Amino acid sequence: MTAATAPRSARPSRPPRSLVGPVALVIFAAITWWAASEEFGLNFDVPRLFSNLTRGAGILAEFWPPEFGVVPRTIGPMLETVQMAIIASLIGCALALPIAFLASRVTSPNFATYLIDRGILSVVRALPDVLYALIFVAALSIGPLPGILALILFNIAVVAKLLSETVDGVDPGPIEAARASGANRLLTVRWAVLPQVLPNYVAYSLYAFELNIRASAVLGIVGAGGIGNLINEYRRFFQYDRLAVVVIEIFVLVIIVEWVSIWLRRKLV
Amino acid sequence: MIRFENASVTYAGGVQALKNVTLEIPDGQMMVIVGLSGAGKSTLIRAINGLVPLSDGDVTIDGESVRHAKPKQLREIRSRIGMIFQTFNLVNRTTVLNNVLMGRLHHAGTMRSLLGWYKAEDVEIAMQALERVGIVEKAFVRASNLSGGQQQRVGIARALAQEPKIILADEPVASLDPPTSHVVMRDLQRINRELNMTTIINLHFLDLAKVYGERIIGMRAGEIVYDGTGAAADENVFRDIYGRSLTADDMLGEAAAAG
Repeated sequence: MTAATAPRSARPSRPPRSLVGPVALVIFAAITWWAASEEFGLNFDVPRLFSNLTRGAGILAEFWPPEFGVVPRTIGPMLETVQMAIIASLIGCALALPIAFLASRVTSPNFATYLIDRGILSVVRALPDVLYALIFVAALSIGPLPGILALILFNIAVVAKLLSETVDGVDPGPIEAARASGANRLLTVRWAVLPQVLPNYVAYSLYAFELNIRASAVLGIVGAGGIGNLINEYRRFFQYDRLAVVVIEIFVLVIIVEWVSIWLRRKLV
Repeated sequence: MIRFENASVTYAGGVQALKNVTLEIPDGQMMVIVGLSGAGKSTLIRAINGLVPLSDGDVTIDGESVRHAKPKQLREIRSRIGMIFQTFNLVNRTTVLNNVLMGRLHHAGTMRSLLGWYKAEDVEIAMQALERVGIVEKAFVRASNLSGGQQQRVGIARALAQEPKIILADEPVASLDPPTSHVVMRDLQRINRELNMTTIINLHFLDLAKVYGERIIGMRAGEIVYDGTGAAADENVFRDIYGRSLTADDMLGEAAAAG
């Protein structure tokens, strides 16, 4: 090579490697061992997982052939599931919008509001939707209403959390422009922030709707309406051929909803 | 008239961005502020509409104190002051018209504005503002689909839609190429002359400042170190303001006649 060699300047010496990575890995391994170990944990054993696999074969065999004669009986509860998801998504996502803006430092009117709103969101998020359904069934009655209420809380928790984090990352330029024009806080959020996060809001809401369809299958098991009621009934009476029909229907419904939501997202965003 | 009376700004970190500034800006003046970055130009401009709060002294606009204005009064003062930004500060995802209508938010009323049901007259004011900067045909185009120069003109139209008495421009051409810079500067000059709006512009290109500045204020370390006409500001003056000899980077470099 004939390349002209430039005079070598002093190279910086490599800073000492951080120990954070290896230490975190060791801690992670220790926690995993604790959870799975014979002495302290669940005595989790992979080979046993497979040796016991055949035991379920008998039950699984009863799923086949599916008893399609029950399809007419399943239509009503399936519709109820979809209706619950629609109502809960509309109300939950609508409520999540103002809550999300109050839960972001960018749009919250003051630090106290921000903290209180974040606190409420954490509390709402702490319980899973099935537990909320159980509480509402106990407090109200069985039926779709407690299920809808549980899903509304779930949607607020999910959408407000995701959206507030999106709001944290918006371009502050338009906010400054709106403030400089004399707009009040509400109108600043409406015209400088909302247009920036609207596509995300639509995407999160559709995602919440998908999760609601799935969740309302489970909610019925605790008496909160929808197809889960039927699942519970067939399961209790060991009518696995009928249960198979419901499983197939949920499968198909979830896939259809996912397709529609992908299509909608592409249209709207 | 805008008056700075011993105005000082100290930021949270302890940096004193404005030191005891006293300054009068008569109505209708086209004033350019020059100085190195960090000299306090942006702070001076934002002290006028209260985006940066003063820590001492006061700024008054037609006798009304900005520092002691209640939130509602402050919004009222701001509605009379249009502002133009280096990075345009448009909402890219929405239309040009919606961006310009932002200038009407203070007047249009909260309920109407919230729903986007603007009165026909507010929309007409926005359209006229777009007309004045020559891009009314872009009204229903997404802001992100415009070139930089066009976006800055939307920014100017948004300020004009407020029907303000004062225009503040913070480095309005720093993100634009030289020919477009002159187009935008001429727009601002024309607006200043035709509508008689007090126009205060931060610039870091000295040749632009000299061409367009009826009056030039030089700032260094939070203080005003020069106050004179553009004509009188020669190379020595700028060297004093900058505290160093001038380089090609201090000039936009493309000569173009002022309108």
